[in-house]
Amino acid sequence: MTKGDKFLIGLIILISISSFAYINRYAFADVDKYISVQVNGVEIKKILYDPQLIGHTIPVQTEFGYNLIELGDERVRVIEADCPDKIDVKQGHIHRVGETIVCLPNKLVIEIKGEIKDSDVDIISY
Amino acid sequence: MRKTNKMIFISLLVSVGLALSVIESAIPLPIALPGAKLGLSNMVVMVTLVVFGFKEGIKVAMLKSTILMLVTGSITSFFYSLSGAILSCVVMYIFYRYFSKIFSLIGVSIAGAASHNFAQVSVAVLILNNTRIYSYLPFLLLTSLFTGYFVGLSSIYIVDNLRKNFRILFQKQVVK
Repeated sequence: MTKGDKFLIGLIILISISSFAYINRYAFADVDKYISVQVNGVEIKKILYDPQLIGHTIPVQTEFGYNLIELGDERVRVIEADCPDKIDVKQGHIHRVGETIVCLPNKLVIEIKGEIKDSDVDIISY
Repeated sequence: MRKTNKMIFISLLVSVGLALSVIESAIPLPIALPGAKLGLSNMVVMVTLVVFGFKEGIKVAMLKSTILMLVTGSITSFFYSLSGAILSCVVMYIFYRYFSKIFSLIGVSIAGAASHNFAQVSVAVLILNNTRIYSYLPFLLLTSLFTGYFVGLSSIYIVDNLRKNFRILFQKQVVK
């Protein structure tokens, strides 16, 4: 093993670790994720994620009923509802794009929306 | 060395490479990364490059991946392995021919393994039309360090042995 070999090994380790750090930091950041609150099919609130909003609660009082939404760190849940079964409260947090909390009696839908990229390939097999 | 000798030796190398590819698929890896392989058959391509030269090396590399496709029957992996074989062969030849003062066979083999992975991932990007697959490259590069080191070390021993015991291979002039 010569000096050049060791240099090459060091170079490859450096490249892979630095590009790994870069990928982790920038490439997979979900910047376009937002929470959409819909009542009776109409979007009444659109909430962008913000660290200042952690722990914030949002009351939703409509003609169909009352729900209290709590924002968390990159996630959201319903903590209070006046519907009889409380399925939305029991469901807990949601955080992934496409997940929903539904409260049928109050006609409330909370959905995490965002662009889902690269959807033209379903599955890859090797 | 006669032309026939050379032909027979190259076909032997190809078959050894095929056997190594089949055997290595039976060896489990401690890490679960699709696309990460030991690359044992790279040893054969390196030995060919050192003993015969570039033309024979790329012949062996292409024959190996084509026949491996016929053996295993998976066409997608054929594209990956063929592109990887061609690029790694070119890179290894350049490293061996022009930079052999700086790099030993270990360095040559690591460069070959890394470029093999790069070509594979690039073909995957082209096939799936998704540049995010490049994010997979750092992991493959790290594994290619280990496999490349091992393959290079083994080929040093192989070439030494061939120099001692098969002197006919290193007589450059071709007798008709």
